[in-house]
Amino acid sequence: MSSMETIKWINEQLKPTNEFIQKNLDYENKHILLFYLKSVVDSDMLQNLIITPFFDMKSEEQLRLYVQALPQFQEVQSKEQIRQELLNGNVLAFIQDELYLLDFRLSNNDKVNQTNVETTIHGSQLALSDNLMTNINLIRTNYHQSSLSIEYLDKGEVNQQKVAIIYDQEKVKSDVLDIIRTRLQKVDKQVITSTTQLNNYLNDKKFSLFPQMIMTERPDRIIYNLAGGKVVLLVDGNPQAVATPVVFFDFMTTMEDNYHTVLISFFLRILRYAGLILSLLLPSLYVGATSYTPEVFRTELALTVAGSRVGVPFSSFIEVLFMLFFMELLLEASIRLPKAVSATATTVGGLILGTAVTEASLASNIMVIIVSAVAISTFVIPVNEMAFSIRVLRLLLILVTSLFGLAGLVLGFFALIMYLVNLDSFGEPYLKLYTVSKNKKRSEGKA
Amino acid sequence: MPDKQKNTKLFLLLLVPIITLLAGCEFKDIDKNVFVSIIGIDKSDDEDKPYKITLKLYVPTSSFKQSPEPEYAYLSQNGETLSEAIRMLESYSDKELEFGHSKLIVIGEELLKEQKVSEILDFLLRRPDIQMISWIAVGRPSAEEIVKMVSQGENAAYPALFNYFEDIGTESQYIVTTFLFDFRRRLTEDGIDPVLPIIEGKKKKKHFEINKAYVLVNKKEPYELSSLYTQTFNILSMNASVADLSTKREGQQFVARIDSINSKFKVIVKKNNKIELDMDTSLVGYISESKNQLKTEDLSYYSRLFEAEGEKFFTDFLTEMMNIGADPLGFGVDYNSRILHNKRMSAEEWNEAYKNAEIKLKVHADLKSTGIIQ
Repeated sequence: MSSMETIKWINEQLKPTNEFIQKNLDYENKHILLFYLKSVVDSDMLQNLIITPFFDMKSEEQLRLYVQALPQFQEVQSKEQIRQELLNGNVLAFIQDELYLLDFRLSNNDKVNQTNVETTIHGSQLALSDNLMTNINLIRTNYHQSSLSIEYLDKGEVNQQKVAIIYDQEKVKSDVLDIIRTRLQKVDKQVITSTTQLNNYLNDKKFSLFPQMIMTERPDRIIYNLAGGKVVLLVDGNPQAVATPVVFFDFMTTMEDNYHTVLISFFLRILRYAGLILSLLLPSLYVGATSYTPEVFRTELALTVAGSRVGVPFSSFIEVLFMLFFMELLLEASIRLPKAVSATATTVGGLILGTAVTEASLASNIMVIIVSAVAISTFVIPVNEMAFSIRVLRLLLILVTSLFGLAGLVLGFFALIMYLVNLDSFGEPYLKLYTVSKNKKRSEGKA
Repeated sequence: MPDKQKNTKLFLLLLVPIITLLAGCEFKDIDKNVFVSIIGIDKSDDEDKPYKITLKLYVPTSSFKQSPEPEYAYLSQNGETLSEAIRMLESYSDKELEFGHSKLIVIGEELLKEQKVSEILDFLLRRPDIQMISWIAVGRPSAEEIVKMVSQGENAAYPALFNYFEDIGTESQYIVTTFLFDFRRRLTEDGIDPVLPIIEGKKKKKHFEINKAYVLVNKKEPYELSSLYTQTFNILSMNASVADLSTKREGQQFVARIDSINSKFKVIVKKNNKIELDMDTSLVGYISESKNQLKTEDLSYYSRLFEAEGEKFFTDFLTEMMNIGADPLGFGVDYNSRILHNKRMSAEEWNEAYKNAEIKLKVHADLKSTGIIQ
């Protein structure tokens, strides 16, 4: 197909876009045709790198060589590629019966964000940006290894968003990579806007309670995961990356664990696991112990609990569900609300509601303490996705405990562990404790 | 595949109704229970209903800060059997009687003398919600009086009596602590006799006194140990962790505070069914009170005086026990554990041998300080 025909085809294809511009420059026996989409092309760059030199050039041949020498120059492969690249912000130049693509894309979202999901005291305070290229640039500048490979895909039938698969060729497990590639191929969604969406689309189970990928906005975590042999996925326009395969214990670590001294990070880890257990089990323990086996309490405690429940009209499990319901509402509300209002919401919800509920004896004092303790300990879980899973899970545990008492709780917990053991993340066991295998010298999953 | 799915659905459909029929533990909110703190068992005046049960019940309060005074409710009932009495008691209360938190069982002195302990024990052991780790004691003059008494300075929600037996409260050398499980073992096992502390309620002074104990000898009237013997028993059985022992010898009179007690014993079998009780006790401590001026150089001399005094104490106690045929320390168990069953003496032979046993007692005292810096 000749170049003229291609141009004709492109013209037809892009006709519906009323921003499509065709510029014909003709001066002193030099001739160039430029095609581009006005809104995605950096006009300063176009002016400085093409239009000004064009009038200074002596011959058309020189111009052609000049264009080819530009770093933004890209080889033309097919007309479909041309169409796609034009939409991405390339300029198509037609010189001497040849087509050239020049990458002059304009991006206003390449500012690096401040961390606000995974905030730490130590370490970098900068997160990823919304721009894929900036993000890859961030990763490359922090990971100097020739084995770092990046594959690009266009996903989303309608919006054709760019997805990048990033991994260290020498460290990655090839079967994991294969699974990710094949599953990504199978994704046929209309619109892809976020990496976390992929968490669902790449998962072959219909209902899954636990995340199979870990979401992160911190470049240091990405680097750490890459070095551990994980595969990182990035979507253009999304400031969060996902890393996979993961183990359960990945969700209980923060990057700061590496930045503290050993004992301090050990202490923090203990604290975190205590928080996990507490937020998972405390409501069910309350139900089980108060309603089935009050013997397990100390005498004074049993009497205090019994005394504080005097006048409460509900059974213990209704009481727990009732208070947890309000707590969940509060949590959910404070996420959606603008920052200025959310402080008020927590005060009204937490303090006033809590006091009022006990005054009206809708719930016991002890219950309010338990719900607050549960709420606080849920926040201790460092990765948000896991905190969400735990929130759902503890309702299930309350259910079994209300039916079968402490024995039910033990069984329920046992079932949970069995489920976790059964689970795998892209072929890797989910509840693996130590992922470092000495003979293979791999260290994935240590993040 | 659809077949399998159908099966699963059918299975779930059947399973769910079956599960709802299952009766697990009973769901009962904590405020619908009433907690028993002390069980008292007495002999009643009624001939047909010989047992009298008295229960001390906690009255729950939401905040002990608002009501620091101890509040209890009491229930009392006679019955032909213990279960019958408790069944009647349940009809007196609007809430379920929960025995899981009862920590102390008091047996009336009269009942104890009637040799009915094993009957009571049977009930206590069979009932699942009575904890085997509860303490058991004898109430003087009666269990009811002890149960119903609230001593001076008692805290809410924690009967003062518990502190006597628990390690966290007083550490008196005169208090014998007997758990229900231990009591049962001593009662059923040959060669060791149970010891029960006696709780005396002093009504006028509003406090309890626990410094004596009963040794239950098979088929005999229980023998009351005096305070001194109770203390000696506590030291020899290592029940007490600290003790004060006074010495009055060779013109010296001092009291030693012993903070490390170690006591071992062994039965040595000799010819002609003769046995020797070999005891080895080590006491480490310091002098806490003295009439005379003491010198640090002479500490080993004081230790020797103390040893002689200790030997006298312990020998007195053992001789007395041998005379009445009581074996609270468990020499018989030690003998049984050493000798094969076909070579053992019969029970009568053993009793005879025990009564005439030779006592070989060694006390190693080590007084570390005179208690004063010179």
